[in-house]
Amino acid sequence: MYTCKDSINLLLEYLDGEMTPEEARHLKEHFAGCRPCEEFLSTYRATSGMCKRALAQRIPQEVSAKLTEFLRSKIKPAS
Amino acid sequence: MKPALTRDAATGWVRPPMSDQVDTGDDRRLLARAQDGEIAAFEALVEAHQDKVYGLALRMTRSEADAAEITQDTFLSAYQHLKDFRGEAAFGSWVHRIAANHALMRLRHRRVAQAAESELQGPEFTERGTLADYPLSDWGQNAEEKALDAELGVAIQQATDRLPEGYREVFLLKDVDGLSYEQISEATGDSIPAIKSRLHRARLALREAIEQFYQPG
Repeated sequence: MYTCKDSINLLLEYLDGEMTPEEARHLKEHFAGCRPCEEFLSTYRATSGMCKRALAQRIPQEVSAKLTEFLRSKIKPAS
Repeated sequence: MKPALTRDAATGWVRPPMSDQVDTGDDRRLLARAQDGEIAAFEALVEAHQDKVYGLALRMTRSEADAAEITQDTFLSAYQHLKDFRGEAAFGSWVHRIAANHALMRLRHRRVAQAAESELQGPEFTERGTLADYPLSDWGQNAEEKALDAELGVAIQQATDRLPEGYREVFLLKDVDGLSYEQISEATGDSIPAIKSRLHRARLALREAIEQFYQPG
């Protein structure tokens, strides 16, 4: 039977689907009987998506305009 | 059986022929026209992907000037190798990898003082290996559907900035920009087990930062 520490150390492999069926079964058994680890899994799984949203960036308009200008100066139409 | 690897002319990286991103029909049509020499079609591809390329460059370098230059270099490089791109990967995925390579090259030239690995925070366990502090609330439930609190957004940005460089790079490239382990390994020269280990530690540290945000007081 896995401990909480074992289970949390295996979360990446578990979410990547890279565990053997037996390892995955042991892990699911632990989650089923351990509310803190079940919640830890839920929050670990949500972390990447929340970070992705928090770190999203849009290109500023002036940078976009300079990019267009730069590319037009470098790219010549085929003659 | 693993798919055969091919070398990408623009990025110089070896990559599997299958994309990790689904290309849109619009991209495919624009790409075909751009490869036939229609500059307006290439400009439309730039327009569609410039936010993501600039975002990757800015997150990686934390410099607006560097991000602007990397965005220019990325799309120029993409244009120069457009004829070699056979569309095995999505166009967006391809330019992402070019941008990541440019960003990593720039970072290699200006290594700054790094946070120590020991500063990475993760969960604490008792001697018996059980969680010492139980999560107070399951904020992971329906997280994708909830609006992101602005203060939490700032806390996440600060926590990401605090990650040691190698951990930050791997987390951004994998979880934010969607590169595969193989692509990151090719770009950084690090082994896939080392990348996975750092990614896990980075996720634990960022999860901890979000957990702190939800704790009262």
